[in-house]
Amino acid sequence: MTDRNDDNLLQAASRLTTDISPERDLWPGIARAMETPQRAWWTPMLAQAAAVVLLVGGSSAVTYIAVKQPAPPVAQIAPELAFEQVSFGTGYELGDEFVKARHALIAELEVELKRLAPTSRAEVAANITVVQDAIYEINAALEQDPNNTLLQQQLLSAYREELTLLRRVGGLTRNIMMRNDI
Amino acid sequence: MKKLTVMMLGLLLAAPAVAEEVDRTLDAAADGDVDISNIAGSIEVTGWSRSAVEVTGTLGRNVKELVFERDGDNVTIQVKVPRKAGRGTDAELSIRVPQNSSIDVSGVSADISVADVRGVQRLQTVSGDVETQSFGNDVSAESVSGDVEVEGDASDTETSISTVSGDVTLERGSGIVRAGSVSGDVIIDEGSFSRAELGTVNGDVIFRSGLRKGGRFAAETVNGDLDVEFSGDVSARIEIETFNGSIRNCFGPEPERTSKYTPGLELSFTEGKGDGRVEMSTMNGDISICKE
Repeated sequence: MTDRNDDNLLQAASRLTTDISPERDLWPGIARAMETPQRAWWTPMLAQAAAVVLLVGGSSAVTYIAVKQPAPPVAQIAPELAFEQVSFGTGYELGDEFVKARHALIAELEVELKRLAPTSRAEVAANITVVQDAIYEINAALEQDPNNTLLQQQLLSAYREELTLLRRVGGLTRNIMMRNDI
Repeated sequence: MKKLTVMMLGLLLAAPAVAEEVDRTLDAAADGDVDISNIAGSIEVTGWSRSAVEVTGTLGRNVKELVFERDGDNVTIQVKVPRKAGRGTDAELSIRVPQNSSIDVSGVSADISVADVRGVQRLQTVSGDVETQSFGNDVSAESVSGDVEVEGDASDTETSISTVSGDVTLERGSGIVRAGSVSGDVIIDEGSFSRAELGTVNGDVIFRSGLRKGGRFAAETVNGDLDVEFSGDVSARIEIETFNGSIRNCFGPEPERTSKYTPGLELSFTEGKGDGRVEMSTMNGDISICKE
């Protein structure tokens, strides 16, 4: 019973026309619409204004996050000493190798600082803070003037100084302390 | 009576050992290596005309041993202290070495002072001052918290001096100098250089020396001032830039604003034939460049 109904339905369907013509010629209207497209509610001017708002808003948000709410420290190796994530303005990143080297040196410093006398430890910490403050200050200036090559060079130098300082303190302490005399 | 004897013995054993005087000498090569380490106290090294090394001074009551031995051209002087040492591990050492020796001196909480040693010098301490003279061989002197002072004799050498929280001073240096500090000043005076690389974070850089023909001079600070006064004629391309500081130029050309929106200044000019190169930059410091 069901098979016969299906056959009737298929026969009826095959008799239907496959080419339906529109009641009138629609092409002139389509061509006209293509030549003079309907204007979007936001004009290019509006789009530019929106882009500026997004850029300023986004940049402000990044600055706010970077300056007011710094990322959690990479390491806090003494109460007075914490290492923040590295940053290089808004448009640049420091490479993975640099970040890895810095992490390794920070870990090494943690061990070596414990070997120092409290006064030396405090002095080292104070000077690492001096370098970190400089990095923070240059980064803040770079946020405002991202293409300033002097600031970029200064920031690179400051990070290099931080690495040198970490290496010098860690290396010097270790070199001396690892000798047989202790 | 037995109790009293035990108590007296206990007191005797608990009593601190006394400091020990040292006065020892070993024959040594006239131009060998002398390796010295002393954890705390002071190390004073003086060159003399004899082919021998002499150690005099005082060892603290808790010093374990003074190692003083020769192996070929190498002499070793080490103050050994117990691993868990506290007070009484200081040693005040006065060491005389053959004048042409090369020395490697290390301390932790120790001042290092060297005079009349003409070989290569490598001096390092963590907490203490370093003071030496150079005589035409390379000198590397560094401290973490302390001042570093080197006095040259105007013969060419390569001098590397650095500290973290102290000042760095080189007088009458010549040849190549690399000097840096984080929070202290860098002072280079009465020298003549083919290459000078100087830098601080918060300290000032003061350079009053000559730059030779074709020489290179680079100085950089973040918050410190750069005060440069070349002695004699300068022939170099000079490039100076500040982000937020002034530029004073005695050579003539006036600095220009880097941008109408920022207070930074830049100055580029050629002095003489422009053989050498002078580069100076700072973020917040002021720069002064002059000629004697």
